Amino acid sequence: MSKKEVKIAFEPYSNEADVLQIGGLTIENRLDRITIDGDIDLTMDQAGLARARELYQLLGAAVARLEAQKALPEHLPAPTIGKADNPFE
Amino acid sequence: MFQKLIQAAVAAALAAGLLSAAHASQSCPQHYVSGQAPQIVNEKMARATRELCYNVFGVMHSGITRTPLWSAEHLTAPNLEAAEDLSRENSFHPELDLPAGQRAELADYARSGFDRGHMAPNGDMPDRASQYQSFTLANMVPQDADNNRHIWAGIEQNVRKMVKKEGDLYVLTGPAFIGGELRKVGNVLVPSHLYKAVWSPRKGAGGAWFVANESGARVQTMTIAQLESKIGINLLPSLSTRQKSEMLRLPKPKAGKRRD
Repeated sequence: MSKKEVKIAFEPYSNEADVLQIGGLTIENRLDRITIDGDIDLTMDQAGLARARELYQLLGAAVARLEAQKALPEHLPAPTIGKADNPFE
Repeated sequence: MFQKLIQAAVAAALAAGLLSAAHASQSCPQHYVSGQAPQIVNEKMARATRELCYNVFGVMHSGITRTPLWSAEHLTAPNLEAAEDLSRENSFHPELDLPAGQRAELADYARSGFDRGHMAPNGDMPDRASQYQSFTLANMVPQDADNNRHIWAGIEQNVRKMVKKEGDLYVLTGPAFIGGELRKVGNVLVPSHLYKAVWSPRKGAGGAWFVANESGARVQTMTIAQLESKIGINLLPSLSTRQKSEMLRLPKPKAGKRRD
């Protein structure tokens, strides 16, 4: 691990709370996924390198967590969505 | 003693959600046109409501749906300039000021497939404290992921562009619960639709976007008056019916980059 690497406290798939901003990307932690939304330029400069490292670290942690998961399903089962009568009608 | 009894009675009534609608405009008038919060017209919606005040937005929370009914913002161009600098780390959190039996928990949304959709968007928040506040679940609804990240993000960007041009706008954003049956994740009701209403004090005109909480939904634009009749809330009680029919030109929404 390089000394320039920024330590981020984002353990993929560990909670439903964490939100991380890397460039124009918003990364949300969920128990069944991480959501990466937005866009980013990894420019050929120090700022680009810092962002690339941060993203690399995050994706590395995600891959490691997925690889460590026993019985990883082909696809997640469809979420169970409940139904309710509309209380306002 | 007598005063204490009255206080206890008021507190009990507030806890039951009986008085909150009547007190709506008193707590954080700065977020509303002429200091007046919306009035809930549909009485069924007024049950178990509580007003929550944050630095730059106000929320009317429903303990029935465990979502906001609206989030109110007074957006100004200088505040949006400050908003360009987003906090690097944040966290979704339950609203502990609400009773446990009325609030959403992170677990309600877990494994639901729904996004936690901001009503007052993080991208509007001028400082770190406000950014954190915007991540309260009292400001969230279960939102279709594609809708949140594309259609809705485009509307939010439109509003920010309009504010930079107009100088300031009052904005009310919320869910609509329309139809006999609703979807539910954990204890949280999934809105059928979402709305965002804007009022320009300079132009003396307003307008609203209204969209189904679905992927690829078509966005409708309409007057404030038309929106109010759809959602059962008098959003801008200080305005006349005629003012509510003055349509502000709204840019066509196109899929935008998400900043909420």
